Amino acid sequence: MILNDLHLKNVPHSNENFEDNRNQNPGKSNNSANEWNIYVVMPAYNESKTIKKVIEDLKQRNLNMVIIDDGSHDKTYKIAESSVYDHGSIYRHVINRGLGAALETGIKAALTKNADIIVTFDADGQHDPDDIIPVCKPIMENNADVVIGTRNFNEMPASKKFGNTVMNMITRIFYGIHVNDSQSGLRAFNRKAANVLDITSRGYGVSSEIIGEIKKYDLKVEEVEIETIYTDYSMSKGTNLIVGLKILAKLIIDILK
Amino acid sequence: MILYQDLGVLIGIIAIIVAILRLKNNKMSVGMAFLWIIIWLVVIWVSIFPNSTNTFATLTGIGRGLDLVLIIGLIGGYYLIFKMYSMIENMDKEITLLVREIALQRGDLKEKIDDEYSTDSNSLDEKTKIKSK
Repeated sequence: MILNDLHLKNVPHSNENFEDNRNQNPGKSNNSANEWNIYVVMPAYNESKTIKKVIEDLKQRNLNMVIIDDGSHDKTYKIAESSVYDHGSIYRHVINRGLGAALETGIKAALTKNADIIVTFDADGQHDPDDIIPVCKPIMENNADVVIGTRNFNEMPASKKFGNTVMNMITRIFYGIHVNDSQSGLRAFNRKAANVLDITSRGYGVSSEIIGEIKKYDLKVEEVEIETIYTDYSMSKGTNLIVGLKILAKLIIDILK
Repeated sequence: MILYQDLGVLIGIIAIIVAILRLKNNKMSVGMAFLWIIIWLVVIWVSIFPNSTNTFATLTGIGRGLDLVLIIGLIGGYYLIFKMYSMIENMDKEITLLVREIALQRGDLKEKIDDEYSTDSNSLDEKTKIKSK
C-alpha cells in the first residue's frame, strides 16, 4: 500500500532530484521505492521476547535487515538467526558494548552491503514498520541526508515525556541544535551521512551525539512524525530519568576533557 | 624516632625493592621504576627528616611542612585518577573496535560459508542429475 502510494506521489514531485540521485547509484531504474537498497539496522540486547515478531514484520515488507546482537545473555541471537533467514545478516558482539557501539557496527556492515539508505530501528517493538518508508522518503526525494522519526510527545506517557523533553533541551545546550525528538530510535541516513557519522558514545548518549554530528557536518535533516507503540515492555526500556542523568554527566565530562 | 617515621622508612624500602624486582622481571619500564624509586626515596627522606619539608613550606608560603606534603599528595592523587580515567576510556574504545571487528569478520565469514554451502549443494544436485542421465 505505502510503497505504491509513495511511488505515485514521487513521480510528479521531484523527478529531477531522482535523476541526480540515480546518477550516484547507477544500475537502478527510476522512481520506485522498491529499487532503493534500504537496510534496516537493528541493535538488540536481550530482546528475545520481541525480536521474532519485529523481524517477521520487516520480512513481510521485504526489507533487508542487519541485526546486531550486542552480547545478549538470552536467546536473542538464536531466535534472530532462525527467523531472519535470507532477509539479511546478523552480527554478534561477543560482549555487550552498548547501543552506540552496536549501531556503528550495523551501519558499517550495511555500508559494505552497498545500502543506499540505512534505517535504524529498535528491536523492542516500539516502532511501527509501516513508518520506515515514510521516514526514507525525504532521502529518496533528495531533500535530506538524515531523517529523524519524531514521536508524538502528546501521546507519550508522562514519565517518558519529561525525560525526553529534558534530553531535547540538553541536546540543544550542548550541541546547539534543536530537534523535536532527539532520542528517537527510528532514523534514516543516506550513504553520505552514514559515511561521515563517527559515533563514539557507547550507550544511550548516542542519540544526542548523532544530532551533534548532523550539525558538525552540516547535514540536511528532516523530521517525520512516527507512531510509537507503548507496551509495558517497551516502557521499561529506553530513556528514563536515570539514563538521562547519565547522559548529562557524560556530556559534561566530554566537555571538560 | 617516632613510630610513623619507622613505618615511613619501612614502607619506602619495601616499595623500592618491589619496584626493582618488577624492573628485573620486565614488568615495569626503566623510566617508571626510576620515577617510583625517586618518589619513595623522597618519602624515606621526609620520614627521617620531617623538618626538612619546612624549608619548602616557607618557600611556597604554605607554612607547615606536613600541609605541603598533603597538598602535593592530593594533587598527585587527582592527577593519577585523571590519568587512569583517560587510560581506561582509551582501552574501552579499543575493546569496542575489537568487538566490532570480530563481529563483522565472523558475520561475513558465516555468510561466505553459507553461500558456498548452498552453491555446493546445487552443483552436487546437478552432478547427480548428469549421472542419472
